[in-house]
Amino acid sequence: MITVNNILKSYNGNTVVNIPQLTSRQGEMVGLVGNNGAGKTTFFRLLLDLVRADKGEITSNDKNVATTEDWKQYTAAYLDEGFLIHYLTPEEYFYFVGSLDNRSRSNVDEFLKNFEPFFDGSILRSGKYIRDLSKGNQFKVGIAACLLREPQVLILDEPFANLDPSSQLRLIKMLKEWQDRHPMTVFISSHDINHITDVCTRILLMEKGRIIKDFDTTADTLQELESYFKV
Amino acid sequence: MIIKLLSHQWRAFWRSRSAGKNLAAQIFIGFVVLYLLACALFLGLSLQHFLPQFFPGQDIIRVFCGLILYYFSIDILMRFLLQELPVLSIQPYLGQNIRRRQLVRFLNVRSLFQFFNLLPLFIFIPFIVTVIGHAHGPLVAACFAISILAITLFNHFLILYIKRKIIINSWWLVGFLGAIGILIALDYFHVFSFRALSTSLFTLLLQSPWLTVVFVALGIASLVNNSRFLRQNLYFEEIARRGRQRQTTEYTWLQQWGLTGELVALNLRLMLRNKRTKALVMMTFVILLYGFIFYKPVYLKSEHTPMILMGALFITGIFIMGYGQFLFAWHSGYFDALMSLPISIREFIRAQFMMFIAIGTLTFVVSSLYGLISWKIIPFQIAAFLYNIGINSVVVIYFATRSYKAIDLTRSATFNYQGTGMSQWINMLVVLLAPVLLYWGLAWAFNSWVALTVLGLLGLVSLLLQNWWINWLTGQFQARKHTILAGFREK
Repeated sequence: MITVNNILKSYNGNTVVNIPQLTSRQGEMVGLVGNNGAGKTTFFRLLLDLVRADKGEITSNDKNVATTEDWKQYTAAYLDEGFLIHYLTPEEYFYFVGSLDNRSRSNVDEFLKNFEPFFDGSILRSGKYIRDLSKGNQFKVGIAACLLREPQVLILDEPFANLDPSSQLRLIKMLKEWQDRHPMTVFISSHDINHITDVCTRILLMEKGRIIKDFDTTADTLQELESYFKV
Repeated sequence: MIIKLLSHQWRAFWRSRSAGKNLAAQIFIGFVVLYLLACALFLGLSLQHFLPQFFPGQDIIRVFCGLILYYFSIDILMRFLLQELPVLSIQPYLGQNIRRRQLVRFLNVRSLFQFFNLLPLFIFIPFIVTVIGHAHGPLVAACFAISILAITLFNHFLILYIKRKIIINSWWLVGFLGAIGILIALDYFHVFSFRALSTSLFTLLLQSPWLTVVFVALGIASLVNNSRFLRQNLYFEEIARRGRQRQTTEYTWLQQWGLTGELVALNLRLMLRNKRTKALVMMTFVILLYGFIFYKPVYLKSEHTPMILMGALFITGIFIMGYGQFLFAWHSGYFDALMSLPISIREFIRAQFMMFIAIGTLTFVVSSLYGLISWKIIPFQIAAFLYNIGINSVVVIYFATRSYKAIDLTRSATFNYQGTGMSQWINMLVVLLAPVLLYWGLAWAFNSWVALTVLGLLGLVSLLLQNWWINWLTGQFQARKHTILAGFREK
């Protein structure tokens, strides 16, 4: 599905991302872990062609993401609040995103009913613009807008960071259920190694732009990660 | 304390991310400012020789007195358009152990570093020292000079106050513009004469110099009023935002154009829901009044009249210029998202063209009322309108693909009036200058009608080539996409 070939990105001589080879299969849940500055977000930006790689290429369905735009049809991402249009109400934002895939308003409304428990009553019909929502609620809007697109590739940067504990668990449950019904390739980064080993089937451990470990999740994975991050 | 805060400002200016990139532009602006000041000084020094030529046989001191109020009413309009509020640089200090009084004083002092505050020194003081000092003695001259400075301060803090009020409540804008409009109309139709008022006021000052106290009191009152307002509102952003119910609005009529329609709807919401862009929409309407300044009978009578064309370009094109120059930057807050959603940049640009044409047409239709003054204005407006939607819209979008600075729409809601500064106006001058020069040349070589026809036809042909332009602009954008994205991410 997604193939990385010799990708290299540096800022002012500091290598931020340096991945010689990486392939992800369809329907795989890939978790990225690593301390700040490991290059997780920059890697996501490269996947979305939001920064230009110094070297190498990334392909999605065998097409280079930097020279084609087909991947936009089936890829959804939420990296930070910069992915939300802050002066719209949540409903307007959902309708806008839906309209890009030719979905009608009623279709979007119908779809959003699935999110009622996740939204917890504080997003739809809240009478607020997105900019006035709390960070956690903004995140919920972003994630819901991604799933609304029914993507084949989903990219989420630190989805657990701003959510309250019950929303974190709901998100994990939702992602798993969604994956059963509608297989997609998921990239998630997180500092929460408990959650990420719970959700993901494959873990990439990043350090200073490199992938230093790449393994499928097993019962020992959590322990292995804990020993890496131990101070 | 104030010195410390000011030194932070100084560093903020030199260390801002744009400082290095736009050094050339800043040097250019520096030269323009120096040039304008030199002109002002020259004007001030030679006022005593100019005035007798323009007003022969009249007492030049009386004439001078008559012009002062005119100057200050133009001053207040210019300040309204150009003067920037001190940027919301105090936010990081609000949580520190610094008294509010000090912060307010800092904001006031910071705001004084203004081109407009220097101008009267250069224009008025030479005349006051030489002519008035000679005729009425040094004491009167000193009082006169102090009065001029006091009025400058009065204007300075008044406009800060009004601008801050407008940010909170847009009705202040309507009120301010209404008042200005009425005053201009009264003077224009000779119901009431600024000049007579100004003459009697300032000749009175010459006879009884103690009246300076009144002006100084006015200046101080304006300062105190502004400070009081600031003290009470230093943290209004936390208070004012809460509890406003926001509504989901529908533009169903736009849905028939599919994605382009959705993008137009997005732009409409952008314009109407952010203070910064709202100010721009208001400006579009204000500029409609510029006709009273540009369409003077003197110009209408002469053979070829670039001034009329200038006015017509302004009136029918201000929106295109103002909105277009930040075409992508308006969306900088979420540009990453737009670039990863399935929106082609071609559609995005097409939507902008649609909006430019719609709003350009609206301003054109409304401003056609100027035809009531003289039918001669209409051909100018048609030519300017066609040129604006045909050529200037392309030029402006091209420049937008070269602007890498993000605009923070949300922050402008508080103390920030960024955007209507000098550099934008210089940019705008270029867009205005090309057609005016073209007109001038053609009108000089042939006549005004030929010049207007050529301008209008150029616009029309370019308009018919719009699809080609859209493809070209898309290519321009794609070539610089990553630079734009990187620039927008640096806030």
